[in-house]
Amino acid sequence: MEQLTRRQALATAGAAVLGGTLGSIRPARAATEITAVEWGGDVVNAMKQIEAKQDKVKVNWVLHQGGSGAILPKIKASWPRAEYDYVAGWEGSFNGMVKEDWLVPVTVETVPNLADIPQKIIVKNAKGEWVAIPRAVGGIYVAYRKDICPVEVKSLDDLFDPRLKGKICWPGPTQAMMLPLVALSLHAGGNEHNMDPGFALMKKLAQSGNIGRVGVTDTDFSTSLTSGETAAGFYSEPQLTMVAKSFPVARLTKQAGVPTFLYQSGFAVFKNRPNLQATLEFANFCISPEMSTLYGEVAGEAPLNVKAKTPDSLKHLAFTPEEMDKYVYVPDFKEVLAQQDAWSKRWENEIAPLL
Amino acid sequence: MKADGSFPLLLPAIAIYLGLFFLPLTWLLLESFRLYTPGGIGAAAGAPLTLANYAELLTPAFARFFLETMQISLLASLTGVLLAFPLAYWITRKLSARWRAIAVGFFVTLMFLSVLVRTYALELTFGAAGPLRPFLLALGISPNSRDYIAILVGAGLLHYIVPMATLTLLGTIQNVDPRLVDAAEALGAPAWKAHLTITLPLSMRGVLAAFLFAFTFSISAFIIPMILGKGRVLFISNLIYNRFSEIADYPSGAAISIVLFAVALAIVYAMSRFVAKQWTP
Repeated sequence: MEQLTRRQALATAGAAVLGGTLGSIRPARAATEITAVEWGGDVVNAMKQIEAKQDKVKVNWVLHQGGSGAILPKIKASWPRAEYDYVAGWEGSFNGMVKEDWLVPVTVETVPNLADIPQKIIVKNAKGEWVAIPRAVGGIYVAYRKDICPVEVKSLDDLFDPRLKGKICWPGPTQAMMLPLVALSLHAGGNEHNMDPGFALMKKLAQSGNIGRVGVTDTDFSTSLTSGETAAGFYSEPQLTMVAKSFPVARLTKQAGVPTFLYQSGFAVFKNRPNLQATLEFANFCISPEMSTLYGEVAGEAPLNVKAKTPDSLKHLAFTPEEMDKYVYVPDFKEVLAQQDAWSKRWENEIAPLL
Repeated sequence: MKADGSFPLLLPAIAIYLGLFFLPLTWLLLESFRLYTPGGIGAAAGAPLTLANYAELLTPAFARFFLETMQISLLASLTGVLLAFPLAYWITRKLSARWRAIAVGFFVTLMFLSVLVRTYALELTFGAAGPLRPFLLALGISPNSRDYIAILVGAGLLHYIVPMATLTLLGTIQNVDPRLVDAAEALGAPAWKAHLTITLPLSMRGVLAAFLFAFTFSISAFIIPMILGKGRVLFISNLIYNRFSEIADYPSGAAISIVLFAVALAIVYAMSRFVAKQWTP
């Protein structure tokens, strides 16, 4: 074995001390760690890229398992001890959190970039306070793969075409707030307050044998469409983002007689967390014009910040006021959310046996 | 009960069962009688008691979900045990010690393989977009038909049931004295008859245990019907998940859970009684 000389021992000790000293030098302000729940895929990729553009907050990412409502029971089980600083959600999940009074009210003072977000869209609690921070808008609409779909879909009636047997992927009763069923109801002369025509038409569609898959997770939709198992259906924006990069997808967002629904995605910031200020600052950074643009490019949702640039790939979600009136249907979300339980059970009773 | 001082050793297990089984189950039972207000997350604190969550299960549609779950689970469990019995017999009686160890290792490895991996493997191979699609279509089988999807769900269950039942039956068959069969055959009984009248009855308790393991696994399966069922073939566990996790209607989810639990208990009890009566040595 080689002997260690006194000179070598001193050099080693010196290096160790120097290394230890240098190693203990930290930046002037250590990043605050927060825990956030996000959707997977492109959404979390976008958020990670945004996180990398700042150094004040380090995010411990947790992903939604299933729909964004699936996390609510877990939060309720541990409340008032909140485990997450913010949870990404949309109108559907925000509503449940607002009812439970879990969320921190936000203002332009605490989140200055909210000044550039259309106020009409911001979710409010019973006192009229803003309780969620919107970041982008996505759509729920009919789409199909042009290269494999045997029918050029131009109206909801085309979904009943026998050539589409087994080729439709339809959202399950826990997806998209059942807005596709509202679309059928509108088509048949009803609306969210009168869903009987919608359920009647849905029964016809189920009986037609055209529904090949009932999507219950985002992956179901994109995998089914990518693999060619199904070729058409009702989708929400992120389910199509990746598919559209590889295949020609026709999105019927501006087709008369085929309603398009818009939803917002954003941040629900929780009470009872030690790093509230850092979380609000991070959310504010995320909805800045530059980061909103970045989010839109990567996540495939149109930014809500009026100073942000909407990517060309999302032009189908940019509507003029006239187009908005003509193609976009804004349902009474209070009614839609209040009826989720009843509609789900009705689906199980009336639709599921026919699939 | 004889007081031999061993009772304190049971206390940790009893505490765990009380805390992790009976307590949550009691909570579930109470929740199932609470009135749910749509839009809320579970029942509100102090919500009134009601039987409505059970009453809404008294529909033909719910009975159909229940029967479908039971039917697929029962068929998969029976098929699994039927396949596993000769496998276990072959491993126990026909293989050398070295090959027996390899075979047991193989089945143990299968048990460790994630259910998710196996399920997606089935979906990729036999699904509507799998490489076997042309073959299935040539046989006149539509990969999108409801019956085919139900069979695929059953196949997914078998993936787990066969190794589990085989491993369960190894000990059972090992304990059957092979000289009894030899004696029967020496007295002129054909091999099939010797096995039917000696090996099978003497293994019946093990067969029942394997069947019950398989059946309870099947009726509570969640991932397999969720992936292979394409949202069209749903098990009760999928409905329970939807109630709890997607629409936050805990009372309804709790009521379905309690009904499933009660039915499963009743089936296990009935099967055990039946086997005990028929095959008591």
